[in-house]
Amino acid sequence: MKAGLEVHQQLATGKLFCACPSELSDDVTLSFVRRLRRASGEGLAIDPAVEYQASRGFSYRYEAGPSNCLVEMDEEPPHPVNPTALDTALQVALLLHARPVDEIEVMRKIVVDGSNTSGFQRTALVAVDGRLDVAGKRYSILSVCLEEDAARKSGGSDAEVIYRLDRLGIPLIEIATGPEITSGAEARAVAEEIGAIVRSTRRVRRGLGTIREDLNVSIEGGHRTEIKGVQELRLIEQYVEGEAARQSVLLGIRDELRRRNAPPVGTVATEVTDGFADVTSGPLAAASRKGPVLALRLRGFADLLRSPPGTDERLGRELAEQARSIGLRGILHSDELPGYGVDAAHVEAVARRLGLEREDAFVLVTDGSRERAERAIARVAERADRAREGIPGETRDPLPDGRTRFSRPLPGRERMYPETDVPPISVERARLERLAESLPESTAARRARLVREYGLSEEIVRQLAAADALDPFETLASYGRSPGAVARLLVQEVPGVALPPGIVEFEPSVDALDALLAAAEAGRFAKEGIPNMLSAFAGGAKDLEAALTVSGLGGMSREELEGLVEKVVRENARMIAARGGAAFSPLMGDVMRAVRGRRDGGEVAKLLREAIARSNPAA
Amino acid sequence: MSGADRSDAWVALRSLPMGEHVEVSDGERTWTGTIVPHHELSGDRILQLKLESGYNIGIRIEPGFTFRTLAESNAPPVRGAPVPGGTVPRSATGSVVLLTTGGTIASRVDYETGGVRPVKEESEVLAFYPELEASGAVRIVPVFDRLSEDIAPEDWPTIAQHVVTAYRDGAAGVVIAHGTDTLGFTAAALSFLLADLPGPVVLVGAQRSPDRPSSDGASNLRAAVAVARDPRIGEVVVVMHAGPSDDRFAIHRGTWVRKMHSSRRDAFHSQNGPPLGYVVDGRVELGAGVRPPAAGPPRLDGPMDARGGLLWFYPGLTADRAETFSKGMRGIVLAGTGLGHVGSWHLTWIRSATARGMIVAMTTQCLEGNADPYVYATGRELLRAGVLYLGDLLPETAYVKLLWALGHSADPKRVEELLRADRVGEFRDRHDAGGPP
Repeated sequence: MKAGLEVHQQLATGKLFCACPSELSDDVTLSFVRRLRRASGEGLAIDPAVEYQASRGFSYRYEAGPSNCLVEMDEEPPHPVNPTALDTALQVALLLHARPVDEIEVMRKIVVDGSNTSGFQRTALVAVDGRLDVAGKRYSILSVCLEEDAARKSGGSDAEVIYRLDRLGIPLIEIATGPEITSGAEARAVAEEIGAIVRSTRRVRRGLGTIREDLNVSIEGGHRTEIKGVQELRLIEQYVEGEAARQSVLLGIRDELRRRNAPPVGTVATEVTDGFADVTSGPLAAASRKGPVLALRLRGFADLLRSPPGTDERLGRELAEQARSIGLRGILHSDELPGYGVDAAHVEAVARRLGLEREDAFVLVTDGSRERAERAIARVAERADRAREGIPGETRDPLPDGRTRFSRPLPGRERMYPETDVPPISVERARLERLAESLPESTAARRARLVREYGLSEEIVRQLAAADALDPFETLASYGRSPGAVARLLVQEVPGVALPPGIVEFEPSVDALDALLAAAEAGRFAKEGIPNMLSAFAGGAKDLEAALTVSGLGGMSREELEGLVEKVVRENARMIAARGGAAFSPLMGDVMRAVRGRRDGGEVAKLLREAIARSNPAA
Repeated sequence: MSGADRSDAWVALRSLPMGEHVEVSDGERTWTGTIVPHHELSGDRILQLKLESGYNIGIRIEPGFTFRTLAESNAPPVRGAPVPGGTVPRSATGSVVLLTTGGTIASRVDYETGGVRPVKEESEVLAFYPELEASGAVRIVPVFDRLSEDIAPEDWPTIAQHVVTAYRDGAAGVVIAHGTDTLGFTAAALSFLLADLPGPVVLVGAQRSPDRPSSDGASNLRAAVAVARDPRIGEVVVVMHAGPSDDRFAIHRGTWVRKMHSSRRDAFHSQNGPPLGYVVDGRVELGAGVRPPAAGPPRLDGPMDARGGLLWFYPGLTADRAETFSKGMRGIVLAGTGLGHVGSWHLTWIRSATARGMIVAMTTQCLEGNADPYVYATGRELLRAGVLYLGDLLPETAYVKLLWALGHSADPKRVEELLRADRVGEFRDRHDAGGPP
């Protein structure tokens, strides 16, 4: 397996081509509708990705608000490139030992899925030929680009997609690695390292969705597939390994199709609507169906549409994705029939109508619009035909469950042409020298220093870096908090906090964490209570006292603890008499449950041993 | 083949043709790409290359660089491939005739200027707008290929003559694709130059060039063609976006319309009130007062006399400068402040100019509302000095009407009469309380 990454990190520098803030906003003050047309690049050839998107015939609604001006509405030409954003991209290039180009030219990359009001994304190549060392292995950095982020989808229907314009124009640094990654774990480690380097500029946006990865994966004999827009770093391994598995299954299907001499897939569908007049349930039920049923014969595809044993990948799903991509619910195919309200007699009848032979399969499609059903058949046929060659080059969307789904064909090169509204930018030596002098400490050097200065293990420092917690770590340690306690807090306790219902995000301030650790050190509550205290803060507790009350950790005095211990010993006097010192363990459990972290475990154990000894001096 | 030049690769590289595939090296790093034209704002000794990835970059070619040309290019072609040849000439009868004059609506990206340039070929227009004939035949007649800032008063009768010819040849309607910068002037000029129109004359433009997926050119053109087919209209109108959306278009009377924004799609506004109507989802919706078609035949009501001017008053405008400006002119339109005023130091030269028979007309630089001489003393003085107040005419419309009136008579009295009289509904006698939409 070979994989390469493209890491996209949003910058907090203000937008790339206008004076709007690079902030998201849920306020909508204006909405408008646009239709994007096909447009060619410099040549008149139409890019396959553009052709595909345009053929979907969507219209787009855009919602604008306080983070927008006429530039994002495509009602005003772009302003010159934001100089701070460009400085940041150049700094990242220098940190990656890449070579900046002498003159940067902003390009238009045609994207007509509606995510850019202009119909293109503005992007510029800033530097090339960098390198990155991770865990003793060297990876090439092919390019560092600076580009504008797209609008984000906020809703839609079959006929219209709705986009929010707040995200459009936020600067993105795009870093592309060479295809030297050979496993999912490596992909994740490289992504983490690049993320740490970009964050070290301290000009990045934080939070979910502010860093996104595109994963380019291929296996021997396969084809490059791009999994676009992965937001969850922890799922990278799953996506990469899953894609390799998918390609392997598809290559197996190709080999079988070749063995069977499967001919090219025809695109002519047969209407079989009347054959399903008596179906009463499922997607073809006559009562709920609003349009014709079309059947497509797939010669040589029998048994190849379902999952091969031991895998979860199937060609049937890939065909269905094509139909769904133009708004259909899905398809039915002969490998899953009878079923879905269709019985064996129906299957038999379709097979007769299509002149099916033993190794043939078929696909059924229905939709309220005959035209759309026909387009779906055309797409399904094209995708099935590609199965004879192997793996189509495509862009896939990552799903939250770690799987991916067809998005569109891979774009070609045709879709770039110069953004003539923005003059080229000369990268002067003086600018590079100034930036080189003010480079942040490299992440590798910083990690080595933390190990040295604070006596932490390399693994803990790596985890701090991966959790984007090096800054708060150094701040809290400089406040005099114990490095070990701080590291545990940032690596385990904060990320693992149990969020109260309805709360999705928790980003405690450094000051709040400092107060928490100080209180624990002072014995206000036991360190075992930290997770409960964090939950209380996540739930909105305003200060330490409020958190102590909410978590029930406040208010257990030494006297109360002593009373509790005495009570437990008294109630279990017979067991203590019988078992002596061995009674300690079960009783300690009882007491700790009642204490609920309000007192230190060591203190409780000491008091309990003393009380047992008093109750049974022989113990 | 090798083009290595040890002394200075730049000299040789800059003479290579565009589209040449080259490999350039500084001894450490090698760049491979296709030479694209030098951007006019690009730096010295910068070679612009299109890389395999599709990105263009600039490389500073220092002495000591080496290069070689490569036989074959894998990069996309720099120039557009030739488009299919022109349309077969067809009869105008029943067709909408599209006159193209240039402008953004028929422009494409130009590498050499770094901006956009007008297209010249009919086939190029069709390549941009393949859906143009969805609702019926459209015959394309190229008139000019100019950006609209290069269209001058002597061009207006030429365009008008093409309209007359199109209607005489049986056209159902006429659409004129025009650059937006001076589209309002041309619309006003055609309003006065064309008499007895048997159908609509629809000017249309684009604020975004057609090589962009988001261009407003196609949707504006479609709306314009719909208006051109409407049998209820017999006047010169402008059809452009009514707002930021691609589904609503305003129909403006040619004498009321002004470009009020440098870049928005809905830059064109009808001053002093609502437009004549809208195109919504392809349907033409007209308000009251649209001029109906005449029985025809249409005729060119020329000529124009370009010896007129338009002067915007500002506080530092001296009498000398204004007088110098108006030398050799038969008439001048002032865009005065507020209700139509200029500094009282201008009274002297105005008095002597009008005494010589020069027309001095007043409009308001507020652009909305009447120029009215009776409210303030300055206005009354200007009126006594012979200034002709032109009500709510836009300064541009007044200027165009002045040239037209000057072309129709040598007698200042007659010119004044022509200016005063409502010719094509250019004056609005009633200003809606609601104001413009």
